[in-house]
Amino acid sequence: MSRVLSSELLKLRTTRTALGFAGVGVLLVLLVVLVGTLAGNPTTAIDKRQVLSIGDPLAAVLLLFGVVGATSEYRHRTVAAGALIVPSRLRLSIGRMVAYGLAGLGVGALMLIVSFAIGIPLLSGASGPSLTASDYAQAAGGSLLACGLGAMLGVGIGVLVANQVAAVIGTLVIVFVVDPVLLGVLPHVGKFLFGNALSAVAGRSTSHELAFGAAVAVILGWTALALALAGWVDSRRDIA
Amino acid sequence: MVGEERESAIRVVGLSKRYGATAAVDDLSFEVRAGAVTGFLGPNGAGKTTTLRILLGLARPTAGQAMIFGQPFAAIADPVRTVGAALEISGFHPGRSGRNHLRSLAVLAGLPFSRVEEVLKLVELTDAGDRRAGKYSMGMRQRLALAATLLGDPSLLVLDEPANGLDPQGIRWLRDFLRAMAADGRTVLISSHVLSEVAQTVDDVIVIHHGRLVDEGPVDRLSGPQRVSVRSPRLADLAAEIERAGAEVSHAENDVLVVSGLNAAQVGDLAFAAGLPLHELAPHAASLEEVFLELTTDPPTAHEPQAPA
Repeated sequence: MSRVLSSELLKLRTTRTALGFAGVGVLLVLLVVLVGTLAGNPTTAIDKRQVLSIGDPLAAVLLLFGVVGATSEYRHRTVAAGALIVPSRLRLSIGRMVAYGLAGLGVGALMLIVSFAIGIPLLSGASGPSLTASDYAQAAGGSLLACGLGAMLGVGIGVLVANQVAAVIGTLVIVFVVDPVLLGVLPHVGKFLFGNALSAVAGRSTSHELAFGAAVAVILGWTALALALAGWVDSRRDIA
Repeated sequence: MVGEERESAIRVVGLSKRYGATAAVDDLSFEVRAGAVTGFLGPNGAGKTTTLRILLGLARPTAGQAMIFGQPFAAIADPVRTVGAALEISGFHPGRSGRNHLRSLAVLAGLPFSRVEEVLKLVELTDAGDRRAGKYSMGMRQRLALAATLLGDPSLLVLDEPANGLDPQGIRWLRDFLRAMAADGRTVLISSHVLSEVAQTVDDVIVIHHGRLVDEGPVDRLSGPQRVSVRSPRLADLAAEIERAGAEVSHAENDVLVVSGLNAAQVGDLAFAAGLPLHELAPHAASLEEVFLELTTDPPTAHEPQAPA
């Protein structure tokens, strides 16, 4: 497994895809933190913490990062090159998932630095209570976890669907249309969808959200389900 | 039985692959001798690539089995050191350099980066190794694919249409490359729909059409029975003598006979014994191309227009 992981990490480092997603992440973090502090008027500790919890928007980006990374193996037909060396496609998928999870953590950490570097000085001038070390830890831990889990889940979805366009569009529709609609119409069901659960892991706080631990468990469940389905489908799929 | 399996690097038995109502491969059986260079021939759509994908565990057969050194690909303990396969020249990320593409495969296989440099040198891509693979020419992409097959220094190479898109220099390079591989004692299975690319290189040929085996064997045997062209000022007398000897005669040109059923020495002896002068006596075999076309050309259907006589 270490060879698969090392190979996937090398592949991640040797294209511009990860850099591109990191660039999108930086822009998104800048937007969220600046708008959150300058226009959002955060006055409570929860509001201030949510400004720094960049995992909520960023997890969706990393979810797409995983989807694009996994489906590009089929798009560029590199999946066959790997399968000719390691015939177990499930092993390859697990290694890819772990590698993207680590990459998600790395990108998340980078974005947290950006978020904290800009957000903390801006928030220090805002009225209301100051954030404690626990608030910072919660914002950082939740964001990192959401980024890592999002990327892993994205790989599972990508391997399952294989077609890049279908996987990306499908994921966007679920995260930005189905999730919020279902959360509004049927909140007891909608909160278990992966987009909403990722937001809950990242620290978004609404009356309908899952608790942090439950949200992590839900995402792990979605990831395990995606991996199991992907493994089953991929083992029966003819590689073109 | 064990001895037979040792002699066969590849054994395909009753292999079928159906896509709905279409049979891409239909009850196909053949063997590839260990240590031989074998051409896997057939027109486009004959089922060559599908067969190779099944052989390499990338597609599942509807029926039958394909074995490499006596076992299915998935059961091979160390595939990269056993089989090197190039099925897709686009099997790389266009944004990744050729060197990094090979490095990612080397890491996956547990091979050192020094091996990457060795295979880059072997396929003459060392200087272009740091360029993005998407910028490579067709010939460079083919060579990158070949480099990947050689990473584990395998004893069996499976190459699917490696000459596709190559210019004459590239085809000549590929021919030399294959000869070098064969000289190393490797088994090579090379698919092609262009006979001239492989005719000078292969020991054996397997010909398939519509997913079925139409012929297999040494390339010399497939080249067909020998015929003899003979030129004489007394052609009618010579034709009569040859027919009396039981051979077949046809007129190729005005003063040339084409004889089937006798070799050149027998025709020469016959003419000498009859006192008939010969101005030319030339043995020739049907080209592999002619035999291939004969084997893989569908007869015209009743609805198709017939060529004018």
